[in-house]
Amino acid sequence: MCLVDIEKSPKLQIACNTRVADGMVVHTTSEKTKAAQRAVLEFLLVNHPIDCPVCDQAGECKLQEYYMDYDRQRSRIPLPEKVHKKKAKPIGPLVILDQERCILCSRCVRFVDEVTHTSELAFYQRGDHVELDLAPGKVLDNPYSGNVVDICPVGTLTNRDFRFRARVWYLERTPSVCGACANGCNIEIYHREGRIFRFQPRKNSDVNQYWMCDAGRMSYRDLQGEGRLLNPFVRRGSEFVRATWESALGQVAGRLGDLARTHGPGAVGIIVSAQAANEEVFLLRRLAARLEARLAGIAWSPPDADHDDFLIKGDKNPNTRGLALQGLTSDAGEILTAAARGDLRALVLHRVDVTRWCDEIAARAALERVPCLVVLDGQQRETVEYADAVLPIASYAESEGTFTNHAGRVQRFQAAVVPPGEARPGWQVLGGLLALLTGEAAPPSAEMAFQALARESAAFRGLSYATLGETGAPAPLVS
Amino acid sequence: MTTEGPRFSEGTLAEYRALLTRYPQRRAALMPTLWLAQREFGWLSLPVMEYVATLMELPLAWVTSVASFYTMYWKEPKGRWHIQLCRNLPCALRGAGAIQVAVERRLGIGDGERTADGRFSLEEVECLASCGTAPVLQVNNTEYHENLTVARALELIERLASP
Ligand code: SF4
Ligand code: SF4
Ligand code: FES
Repeated sequence: MCLVDIEKSPKLQIACNTRVADGMVVHTTSEKTKAAQRAVLEFLLVNHPIDCPVCDQAGECKLQEYYMDYDRQRSRIPLPEKVHKKKAKPIGPLVILDQERCILCSRCVRFVDEVTHTSELAFYQRGDHVELDLAPGKVLDNPYSGNVVDICPVGTLTNRDFRFRARVWYLERTPSVCGACANGCNIEIYHREGRIFRFQPRKNSDVNQYWMCDAGRMSYRDLQGEGRLLNPFVRRGSEFVRATWESALGQVAGRLGDLARTHGPGAVGIIVSAQAANEEVFLLRRLAARLEARLAGIAWSPPDADHDDFLIKGDKNPNTRGLALQGLTSDAGEILTAAARGDLRALVLHRVDVTRWCDEIAARAALERVPCLVVLDGQQRETVEYADAVLPIASYAESEGTFTNHAGRVQRFQAAVVPPGEARPGWQVLGGLLALLTGEAAPPSAEMAFQALARESAAFRGLSYATLGETGAPAPLVS
Repeated sequence: MTTEGPRFSEGTLAEYRALLTRYPQRRAALMPTLWLAQREFGWLSLPVMEYVATLMELPLAWVTSVASFYTMYWKEPKGRWHIQLCRNLPCALRGAGAIQVAVERRLGIGDGERTADGRFSLEEVECLASCGTAPVLQVNNTEYHENLTVARALELIERLASP
């Protein structure tokens, strides 16, 4: 496809391996080049089954695009005379192979040789019969296997999870950041009518290059599964009743304000996890200051969490570094102990699963003892059973904000879909509480909350959504 | 390395080690090593290719892929005597077709097949580079039989058939 017509050169030359010279005149659209491009495409399509109507790659297939741009002729090989190969052969947990559609570009082979160094894929046979395959009995099961689907230009390697669930031209894309570990791989969220269909990596040379891990790729399912909190609830006597946002926020702010006033500094405890965005952490700090509350952060990961020396981090939280940069200490345990002792009048849990992430007995003792428990979360958790108020908040796919990755890079995510039910972005809920407690105006957007953070905190100084752009920037204080 | 399954003899291992010194990268020694393996084990079964992959510390996919490219690497067992009949033009013009028919009839097998007793296998091959003495057939990797006639070809088969 890269054949070009160079003046004074008798034959067409390949552009990718011809040195530019003084006075060289190159034609890329002459009749001669066009004929060559048509011929190359015809050659690529000699044995291609042209099954676009049932191919999941249609709409994002390079071969389809180049055919429309450069070829547009009927095949001279009738379908029954083409060399047929295996179709729809699952080759691993995430990838399915259709050998007939392969154009033998070897991108996937190079990926497993040069990026993952696992070398599962190779070409077999020769001539017309060459096919991409694995060694007998092997499977494509490495932690990054999904990337071969993204780099395959055609429908040879497709994603078993995404396949046939949507035509790509119906999907919208929103730039975001994977929240499944501290690496913060840049991604695109593909969605339609409020549903997320897939995550795909988005290029960022400083973070993930072109790749993402399979666990991160599949983590979109955690964001829209069962068990989301949909409505604000407050406890009235022994009953848990649905409330409007206005009344729930009013009651929570009133109660927290009263308790803080009556019992003085340290009467309220706030625990926030590293699942929260920088903006949320910032607003929680303001809230803590207003209530003279104790504030602690927590970054929990399963003890056997995967990690490697490429992208996957053992810290499964997207914003551990962000908590640290805002000076949060990790003494959540002390707050729980104080609550269990009866030294705490109110406890606010922001995206924290204390019964799973902290010492369970201490956590249950604290939840039982504390007179007022406010849970801000997206997920239904055991903490909800003890709560006096539940405020449902949006996931990172449903709101705006920033995470600070393991290396101290601050990166934006944007709302791809609307939150389920009545859930609201965390920054908005916290901003509302703060406004009720202080009488000051709530930040009108996540961006404004970030601006306030950047003004106040040396660690974020000088940053703004504009300077972060789509690929983020290092926090100034990161050494 | 496992103790089960195929293993090179000491002599072949020494040849293998000598091979490695001839190439800047181990991967480049794959083809001659597969050749050694075929000589040692008769054909390249999956366990043999797995042995080669382990021995050379190469991914199995590289080994099986290279083996699949070349017809002269045998991916199924051949007969004790593997008869390779040239099917290119000079041999054809000098009567190779009739020889092939006669040999196939005598052995009761066709191209790519092996006799039930495992004594013979047949394979059509491209030019054996001995067109001047056409028609030509090759037995295993060692013998050429040239200027053949049907009678001489059948004589050869009888000789090879007798224990
Ligand atoms: S990337 Fe796709 S088209 Fe290219 S060799 Fe691999 S399977 Fe074939
Ligand atoms: S390495 Fe981490 S951030 Fe990147 S895709 Fe995987 S889980 Fe997500
Ligand atoms: S054609 Fe038979 S040896 Fe060359």
